[in-house]
Parts: sequence; structure tokens; C-alpha cells
Amino acid sequence: MKFDVVVVGGGPAGMSAAIGSAKNGASTLIIERNDELGGILNQCIHNGFGLHYYKEELTGPEFANRLSKEVKKYANITILTQTFVTEIKQNKVVISNKDGVQEVETKAIVLATGAREKTPANITLTGSRPAGLMTAGVAQKMVNTMGLLPGKEVVILGSGDIGLIMARRLTLEGAKVKAVLEINKTTSGLRRNVLQCLDDFNIPLFFQTTVFSVVGKDRVEGIYYGKVDDNYNQLKETQKFLKCDALILSVGLTPETDIVKGLKTMRVTGGGEVDEYYMTNIKGLFTCGNVLHIHDLVDNVCIESENAGRCASLFAKKKLDTSRPVNVIAGNGLTYVVPSTAYINDNKLVCRFRLKNKITRTNIVAKSGGVVLAKRFVLAGTPGEMQSLEIEKANATGDIIVEVE
Amino acid sequence: MKIYDTIIIGAGVVGCCLASDLSRSHHKVLVLDKANDVATGASKANSGLVHAGFDAKEGSLKAMLNVKGNRLYPAMCKRLGVPLEKTGAIVVGSDKSAVETLYRRGQANGVKNLFVLSRDELLKLAPNLSEEVTVGLYAKDAYVVSPYLLTICLCEEAIVNGADVRLNFNIAKIEKQGEVFAVTNGNETFFAKTIVNSAGAGVNDVAKLIGSETYEITYRRGEYYVLDSTESGTTKITVFPLPTKDGKGILVTPTIDKNILVGPTSYESDDSTITTVEGLASVKEKSQKLLTNVNLRRAIRQFAGVRSIVGDDFVIEKSKKVKGVITLAGICSPGLSSAPAISRYVISLLGLNFDDKDAKKITPYRLFKNLSTSEKNELVKKDKRYGKIVCKCENITEGDIVFALNRPLKVCSVDGIKRRVRAGMGRCQGGFCSLPVASLIAKYNKIPLESVLKENAKSNVFAGKIRGGSYEV
Repeated sequence: MKFDVVVVGGGPAGMSAAIGSAKNGASTLIIERNDELGGILNQCIHNGFGLHYYKEELTGPEFANRLSKEVKKYANITILTQTFVTEIKQNKVVISNKDGVQEVETKAIVLATGAREKTPANITLTGSRPAGLMTAGVAQKMVNTMGLLPGKEVVILGSGDIGLIMARRLTLEGAKVKAVLEINKTTSGLRRNVLQCLDDFNIPLFFQTTVFSVVGKDRVEGIYYGKVDDNYNQLKETQKFLKCDALILSVGLTPETDIVKGLKTMRVTGGGEVDEYYMTNIKGLFTCGNVLHIHDLVDNVCIESENAGRCASLFAKKKLDTSRPVNVIAGNGLTYVVPSTAYINDNKLVCRFRLKNKITRTNIVAKSGGVVLAKRFVLAGTPGEMQSLEIEKANATGDIIVEVE
Repeated sequence: MKIYDTIIIGAGVVGCCLASDLSRSHHKVLVLDKANDVATGASKANSGLVHAGFDAKEGSLKAMLNVKGNRLYPAMCKRLGVPLEKTGAIVVGSDKSAVETLYRRGQANGVKNLFVLSRDELLKLAPNLSEEVTVGLYAKDAYVVSPYLLTICLCEEAIVNGADVRLNFNIAKIEKQGEVFAVTNGNETFFAKTIVNSAGAGVNDVAKLIGSETYEITYRRGEYYVLDSTESGTTKITVFPLPTKDGKGILVTPTIDKNILVGPTSYESDDSTITTVEGLASVKEKSQKLLTNVNLRRAIRQFAGVRSIVGDDFVIEKSKKVKGVITLAGICSPGLSSAPAISRYVISLLGLNFDDKDAKKITPYRLFKNLSTSEKNELVKKDKRYGKIVCKCENITEGDIVFALNRPLKVCSVDGIKRRVRAGMGRCQGGFCSLPVASLIAKYNKIPLESVLKENAKSNVFAGKIRGGSYEV
């Protein structure tokens, strides 16, 4: 098998990348490990997807279905489901499926493998390791696709969006959600989710609070929890016991990059370091969606990924202009910015980033050599919400710094 | 009435090794364990090392059985098809006389291939040693092994050679009826001429049922970090600090499965395998004193095991109170290394002979990912289930899992599958595969999904149906 562009992963990022590539006339292959396209959207049966992209409020499966119908319109997109990529090499991917193991040749690869959830080990959760201790995504899959409950009395650690959504879902499905604990002073989830998933159901959310240890030999029997100080030290004198039979973790996502050997990653995001075309340090390897950096909204994933797919197809045709590179730097008030490299040319650059702290009524600017290239007024922004800025960079004279004014 | 030659109580590595040796020698054996699988106690949670044997005191059972056990390992693992890797080990520090004492002890214990090395020589074996290290002892004949896979395979080997195994067996009563022991859980009763009590942390519970001697046991908890296979370059050799009165100290070692293991702590505790903030913090601190490149940010798991300790040495003895009973107590480190030698030792105490010349072999576990491309394609052609990867981190196929579900020793738990074929052992810790694995267990063991267990009874993966819900397997 031989393609111009191979897209690894058939979730929203992979599908959009394939569309971007196929629109440009490139022969494109999507490799998806599950039985159907859609990725994690297929287990997100709540609504709130597509408000920006489709100007409509859809559920996860509806969004996935709509996108996959679009994918299937392109004659130059081939889809392989139930197929696993076991290795990514230069211009080649090794796949494994019911037909055995084979190599696929390609001119460009788009890595759209999404993210995995952080585990108890990632946050050094101590105590025992019984049944009933799981991540929010596993609980979501259990409830939404298998019709089974992870617990009857549940505590959720972490107020990320998946945790908030699961608090509501579990309540609706007959479990009692006793509390949501958040180690930080603010939630990392969207404001609308705190309102609609916790407040509407009277589920308490405790800030600067975390699980000290898990109790239970066979199944979770409860947790010791309490307050932490500003340096995240556990304040033992605040320790209390809370009985529960499940502890569900929503403590963040990690880009699933490990399949690529030699990928240069960003310390903050864990995703690949990319240029404005979403190309990594490995020539011909592009990356987008949650494997690049964790998004809040699938709508943004799709916009970003379609662009990445388009760039991959241009690379396959040797039409990418990579002359006059400059660094794109996260300045004051930003934790990171994507991409890390831009090229001085007439292309507009949409960079995406996150804020270090809450801001209100402040400008976000992009500067190069003292010249302001772009400026956007932000009424209110939080670290939990991804920001973007469109930059005209024809006039850049050197590195571009994006910062809070 | 079937009368076994021996009932072995406790299916850890020692119990299973003995079961295998006895059944391969045509003795009738029954293995009992209260857990839902073999190797769920100390045999599951340890460093996975086969020590050379320089550490134990001269003349002790530990010294004798460790050195002998070490020599039996290569043939045993080859026979079972259990991977064993000779990684070697170094004990490092700044106290030359302590290193030399260890060296002399090793010599006295009969350990071969031992060398006292300078820092420069050590750096060739472990390039990232911390600056504090000036001297060390190098033992060439040290290995890494999967202690649970070994125990599982030994148990399976016992079964194919005629042994019976009853798991989830909670003994209610042990009675001596004439020359025969009757062991019952209230429903089923088994009879045997002898009993071997290898119940590990539960040895006294069993001893009380038998009426044999009990022992003063202290428990010491050992906490570990497991690092992602991406960190396999951290060290290629096992690195120990100089031992203290608390044990061998916090080590850094490669595992047979390409992870890095860092730990264990050693402090007196109860018998629970919880991890603690303080314990893990000390592992972190001490590991940095050994190697400069231990990246605990890439930890994929923390766990703890508990050692049962009776004095300074293993206790392996015939009961003076009850004839026909052999008790193994305080089998802490180097218990794994000594297991094959302990087994032979117990056989001689039982007055039985060891002769495995007509013994049957088991089919080894061979993971799809470790096959050559042509072998893979051939296998997928025969069985499409090998074309479906269930565990994405470890690349474990549905075929591998079904293979594990059809072994001589029935596996009934998600953790049991994990120990056999590594599904769920990777960086996402079962986030991706635990539910599909649960579904496969339900399907092939023909049980409802809701009764699938994580590990032991009552560790159900699911807490019931959703409101008015239904499901399909």
C-alpha cells in the first residue's frame, strides 16, 4: 500500500486532517484502531459539541457521525478500521490487523492519536489499589457504552471537564456523587460545565482539597482526604474519611506520542514541538489535535487538524515553504504557545496557547522586534480555556513573542 | 478416597515450585490458596531479582539456598519458557571495607564471578552512577525474571503433571485422622499424608489450624516505583546500595519486561500493601543517591509488597508437634532466588525423591508482539484474534488474552490476565484495555460481565447496572 498522506487515528483530529489532505487532492489513508471512526467522541453522549464548527449543539456521537459522513464523501480517502499502528518510521508505518502485519508507504504522516488520561500513578496517589479506582474516561465508557456503573457512591478527584461531565452522568444513571475534589484553587474545566454538571445537581466541589489515601482491599471502601496548602502539601490536621465505593480521577490528559521515536516534545504540553504547518522535528511527520496539545473544544481540534492535514498534503507535493524561520515564543502570562516555529511570509498564523493566570479586560499581543503584529482584547480568560490569536507575520523581523500586555 | 502425598497450602513461588517438582516426580499433590490466583502475595510484589547470593550470612539457609537456587534458575526458566535475563548486579557505595566484607561473604557462600571494582570500572557497567560512589561489588550471575509469570508457569506445569489446584479455598479446619490429614473448607474435604505450610504472610493462621508451631513474624513493607519502558535506558544492570540492617536497600533495576523498578522501602508495618507518601518520598530520595538519571516523572505505577520476617534466616522445618507437617516461615528475600532450592530441600525433608525424567512440559507463553513478522502473519491467518490489539501500551492482542484464558490454570480476573500477558501493565495502566479485557473474561469464562473480578472475591470491576440499564457482552 502506498499513499500521499497517512493519518494515524480516526478521531475528530484524524478525520479533519484527512479532509484537509483530501481536499488538496492527496491520496489519504486513515488508520483507526476501533471498529468505527469517531474516537473518544463515541463515548461522549452528552451535548455541547459543535457550537462553533457546525453552529449547532450536538452530542459526541452525532458530531462524530457528521464528520465521518463528510470523510466518506472523498473518493481519495481510504479508511482502515480495526487496524493498529505498531511502528512509525520515516515515510512508513507498520500496521497490524486481521490481514496480518504489513508496511504502508507514505510521503507524509499525520499523528492524530489523541491523549491518554493521567493515572493514579501519575499523581502519586497513595494507599491501596482496589477495584473501583479508575479514570473518568473508563467510567464514561463503562456507563455510556456498557450500561454498567463504576460505583454506587462515588468521589471524583479533579474538576477537569470529563470529571464534571461524569459527575452529572453518574447522578443521572443512579449513583450518588458525594463530592468533587480539586487540588487547585480554580477548576480546570469549562465554567458552563461547573454550572450544568455540579451546581444543578447540588454536588459539592471542594477546592485546594485532594485524596490523601485510598482505602479498601478488594473494592474501594473510602478515601482519606483533606486540604492542601499553596505548595500542594497535604495538611494532615484537616484529614477526614469519606465512605465511597469508587474513586474516579479526572486529573488531566497526556498526549499519546510514545509511538514515535525521536520526537521532540514541548515540556509544558507533552505534545510534539511543531512549526506553523504542524510539522514536527521529524521531516514529514505532522501532528494535531490532543496529541499536540490538550483542547477544550472539539471544534478547535477540527479547525487545527484540517489545516495540519492540508499542510501534510502540501509537503507530500513538496510545496511547503519553510524559508525564513523564526521562533514563536510564549511570553509574559502564557504557559505555552503552539506552534514553536513560524516562517516569515504572507500566510496568516493562528497560534493557540494557554494563560498562566486568570485575566480580565486585557490585551493579548504578538510582537516581533518591537513591532506589534497582532492584538486582541480579552474580556475574561482563564487557564482552563484555550486562547488563540491570528497573526499577520509578513512584517516580522525576528522571533515572534506572544504575551499578555 | 483420594489421598494426596502432600497438600501444599499457599500458592506463591515456593509453593508452586514445590508442587511442580513433586508432581513431575509423580507424587500426588494438591495446592490450596485462599486467593483467586497464584502469586498474589509476596511473590507478586518484589524486585523480580535472582540474587547471586553474596548477601546472606555464611552458613545460613538463606546463603545455601540462594546460591543453589541461583544455579537452578537457567534450566528451570528454559524448561518453562519463562524469560530470564542475566543482567548482573552491582552493590555500590563509598565504604571499601564494607564492599570487601561482602566480597568475602560471597566467596564463603560459594558465589562465583564476583569482583570488587573501582569507580571507573563500575562506570562502564552503569554510566550514570552518582558521584558519591567510589567502589562496588560486581556479581555477574544475577538475573531478572517475572516472579508472577514464573509462579503461574510452575503451577501450570504442576497441573499438566497431575497436580490439583484449588483457589479461593478458605480452610475451615485441618484434622489428623490417623496418619492422614483432612483439610476442609466446610464444603469440600481433601486428604493427604503430609502438609507443607507455605502460606507466606498467613503461615501462622495455617499453623494454628494444623496445631503446629507458630512463629514470631514481623512484617516489613516495601514500596516501589515502576518506570515506563521509555526509561529502559536508565540502567542495564541492577544497582544496589550497600546493605544495612534493614535489608538490601533501595535499588534500581531493569525488569525482564523492559521497565525500570525503583525501590523498595523496608520498614516495620502491618501486612497491608498500601503505599505511603513518606515511603515513596524516601524511595525518590535514595534512588537519586545511586543513579543521577532516575526519572520518576515517568512512573507508571507505584506498588507495595510485604515481607514476612522471622529472625534472620528462613525457617524451613518439620513440625515437632504434628508429624507430617513442614512449615516454611519468614521466606523473605532471597525467597524468589532460593525457590527452586527450597523446593528440593523440602522434598528431602518430606523423605520423598526428586526424579523428573518423564515429566511433561507446558506450552510457553509467547506474546504475539515478540514473534517475527512471518510468524505473526501465519498466526493471524490461523486466528484473526491475533490481528486485534487490545492493550495499546504493551501491544497485546486479543489472541494473546484468549490464549491466557485457555491455560491449564484457569484465570478469572483482570489482574490475572495482566500478570500473564501484560495487558494493562503499560503507561495507561489499563485505561484502554481493562474494560475490553473484562469483556473477554466474561465471554470466554461464560460469566456475566458484572461478576468479572479485578483480583480476589468481592473485587468486582463493575458495581451493577445503570438505572434501568442493560448491556451486551
